[in-house]
Amino acid sequence: MARWKNPFRASGRDEALDREIAYHLDELTKANVAKGLGADEGRRQAVIAFGGPEQVKQQLREVHTSAFLNRMAFNLKSAMRFLRRSPSLSAAVILVLAVGIGANSAVFSAMDAVVLRPLPFPDADQLVVIYQHDAKNRNANHFVAPVRLEDWNRMNSTFQSISGYYTDDLSETSGPLPEKVSEALVAPRFLRVMGVSPLLGRDFTADEERFGGPDAVLISYRFWQRRFHGDPEALSQKLHVSTFAYSIVGVMPPFFSVPNRDVDLWAPSPPDAPYAQRRDSTWFTVIGRMKTGASLSEVLADLRTVQSRLGAQFPTPDAELTVQAMPLKETVVGGVKDSLWLLYGSVSLLLLIACSNIAALLLARTADREHEISIRFSLGASRGAITAQLLTEVFTLAVAGSLLGLVTAAAAARAFHLLSDQLPRAEEITLNWRIVIYSLACALTTTMLCGLLPAIRGTRKQLAHSLAQTSRTQVSTRNPLQWTLVGVEIMLAVTLLTGAGLLLRSLEELSRVSPGFDQSHVLTFQVTGSWGETADMKTLVQRIDRNLEGLRSLPGVEDAATAAMLPGVPSLYQLEFKIDEHLDPNRKILADSRAVSFGYFRTMQIPVLAGDACKQRTTTADVIVNRSFADRYFGGWNPIGHRLGPATENFIPAGTIRGVVGDAREQGLNTLPLPTVYWCFSAPDPFPNVLVRTRGNPSAMAEAVRKRIHEIEPGRSVYGMMPLQMHLDEASFENRLRTILLTLFAGSAVLLACIGIYGTLNYLGRIRQREVGMRLALGALPRQILARFVLQGFRVTALGCAAGLILSLGADRLIEDMLYGVSTLDPQTYAGVVLLIVLVATTASLLPAWRAARVEPVRVLRQD
Amino acid sequence: MAPLENADLLQGTLDMLILKVVALGPLHGYGISQRIRQMSNEVLNVQQGSLYPALHRLEKRGWLVAEWGESENGREAKFYQLSHEGHRQLGKEAATWERMAEAIRLILGAAAQEG
Repeated sequence: MARWKNPFRASGRDEALDREIAYHLDELTKANVAKGLGADEGRRQAVIAFGGPEQVKQQLREVHTSAFLNRMAFNLKSAMRFLRRSPSLSAAVILVLAVGIGANSAVFSAMDAVVLRPLPFPDADQLVVIYQHDAKNRNANHFVAPVRLEDWNRMNSTFQSISGYYTDDLSETSGPLPEKVSEALVAPRFLRVMGVSPLLGRDFTADEERFGGPDAVLISYRFWQRRFHGDPEALSQKLHVSTFAYSIVGVMPPFFSVPNRDVDLWAPSPPDAPYAQRRDSTWFTVIGRMKTGASLSEVLADLRTVQSRLGAQFPTPDAELTVQAMPLKETVVGGVKDSLWLLYGSVSLLLLIACSNIAALLLARTADREHEISIRFSLGASRGAITAQLLTEVFTLAVAGSLLGLVTAAAAARAFHLLSDQLPRAEEITLNWRIVIYSLACALTTTMLCGLLPAIRGTRKQLAHSLAQTSRTQVSTRNPLQWTLVGVEIMLAVTLLTGAGLLLRSLEELSRVSPGFDQSHVLTFQVTGSWGETADMKTLVQRIDRNLEGLRSLPGVEDAATAAMLPGVPSLYQLEFKIDEHLDPNRKILADSRAVSFGYFRTMQIPVLAGDACKQRTTTADVIVNRSFADRYFGGWNPIGHRLGPATENFIPAGTIRGVVGDAREQGLNTLPLPTVYWCFSAPDPFPNVLVRTRGNPSAMAEAVRKRIHEIEPGRSVYGMMPLQMHLDEASFENRLRTILLTLFAGSAVLLACIGIYGTLNYLGRIRQREVGMRLALGALPRQILARFVLQGFRVTALGCAAGLILSLGADRLIEDMLYGVSTLDPQTYAGVVLLIVLVATTASLLPAWRAARVEPVRVLRQD
Repeated sequence: MAPLENADLLQGTLDMLILKVVALGPLHGYGISQRIRQMSNEVLNVQQGSLYPALHRLEKRGWLVAEWGESENGREAKFYQLSHEGHRQLGKEAATWERMAEAIRLILGAAAQEG
């Protein structure tokens, strides 16, 4: 027998044994000496009497060998033997668990990195984003004026400090070609609020944060690698960005991606600049670090008090404004949280199904082993010992499964990285010890879920008596427990399937939608510009119009236009309007406000229903409305010629309605067209989206377009060039991804449920062979037997279906917000799911039923 | 009485004897073997090769509690002491032994009468 040394404190124990034995020997020797023997002889006699100290020691060691470890080793060995004996069952179980635990760990790794873990800043939960909110005028603009930011920072009592940022897309011109760089202009104290120090170099000095101070810039790790190949000498270099020559003072660490991962540079935006003093200018997205222990509601109350004091001091515009705040993490991951939870819920259901499936398989297995178990009982094994052995078998399988699952999860983590454009924080998803522990916990839970039931069932006391029975007396035992498990599998599979079905139906509805514009053959891009250009609007408009003219004259281009927002990519800028100076207080006129240039409606092929499209002008005096707007707010009259403007003072002046265009899903393909007001204005910002309608494939025109812009504006760079269709695909990417994944999970669930039905019927067919043989011998027809088996499967399927549908009614409400054009009670989906399940389940039960009915009575009855 | 050399104690009997001896007070291994010999009027001479494994087994089962202490001659020795469970176990085993001995005596007595 292999000797198991106790691995713990083995040497300490040995030493204690030595001391104990030595004492005894000494005492014996002393007694012998007292009897008159010499010291040496006394010692020799003592050793002889003791019977060999080394031998005794070895015996003692064996006493101390941990019984627990011994038992474990034994169980493991017998588990391995068992697994080797039924390789196909073991492989099936391991594979099912690998998929179940793997998928679960993979989604958990994404959940953990994106939703559960704090952002990678010190005390990240203290960081909040603060908005100003113009409740009265429903102004959707949440950006904050630099003066107000400084007021908030000075007057509050619950923040450590407050800072903010806005971004510019600019050209850096110190290289041979102008390169587009994304620059974040930050309010003072920015890095202090984020709690991050530069990897190299230093933060901005107070001097650099003042107007007229030295021009300093921090560069991102990626920009450092790209431009300077990670050379620390970069700190002594200068960057020429638009009209500035910045000294590089520091390099930020690689994980620092605020406001986004594309940002290349951070430069101070001095609050004391003369152009930063207007209270109605809105620039900054504001981030504050709360004091330790402060809660979101406390800081909100504090800021609102501050704002009401400001309102008293500066009635316009501060009196109109209230403050809102949200945890920074919420703004980063908010959107995908629901999708991830949905996926996590689905994979957990899948794992549960896998567990009940395996439990059913193992139940059949333990029933097969009744004989073996009863022999062990009669040899004196305790129920606990046998249960432990059965659980060890399952645990061995589960650990093997979870190890394979970890490989799956590691692959999934790589796949998640590829999605980093769509999934925030995707680069933080890694296979770390948390995931390993999680998947081991999965294995343990699975062991309990799958193994406990068969183990308890298999070791029931009366089984001990089964040794006395011969299998001859075994007539159709009912297997309610096993069928219940199969029913549960079907129930869960139905729930997943209805969820997937609804999402699929909603995608189908979406694909049928006609957006009202034609996104094919449209190329989009942007040209770098700076907010500073807005100081001279006339020149800016001329510059952009010159670009458009140059594009229109390019062969292969049908038309070109600019737009502040891309059509069909979700965005909403809702404003309240008034018509003809007349403001009926009972009638709110709300509409999405979009800025488009001359040529936009032709480029997007949105039909002009009445009046004219946008003309080429340098002011915002012309307005076009869509049909929804005309129908809703003008009733039957002709809107053309009426004056339309924002209900309250705004930087947008009033204009004259020149035309009515068809409704288009500008605000997102999954949103019905809203009443929309188009301002005819080609330069809503310094880098509007340029839309080019091409005759052929839009991607093929990319080089020609890039060259033409470079001819017109050699100092600027073109970026973000891609077909409009790709933008739209990206916008619906999350929707499609979660639909595909959920469908995949639901498919696996149905497959598992089928395996459950198949396995259970197959097993029943085997143990009821004798009964079936008897029946056949007594004159039953094979097809009656077949019908009985199929019907048994069908009954469970029907019950599982019914339970699953009821569960779906509740569960599908969770995805209500993700649906388009289908209700959560969509009868078509439900009917389809039931049909599919019944069909598939019946198919799965046909083969085992047929096999069971094909018994040869004579052969079976002769057995034993 | 003459000592029974190499007497094979009935299985489980040695455990009971140890528990009994230790019940009189904490004792080290050497002391236990001496005490068993004395108390049995030199009849039972426990082999050390079985004494120590038995001691450790009883300790592991929780019937004995071991502690290092100073022996009567001032040396460090491992002392065994009866635990609460050990006390109960001793009672059980003694009762079983009584019944068994009585039964054996009855059989042997009857056999003697017949013979």
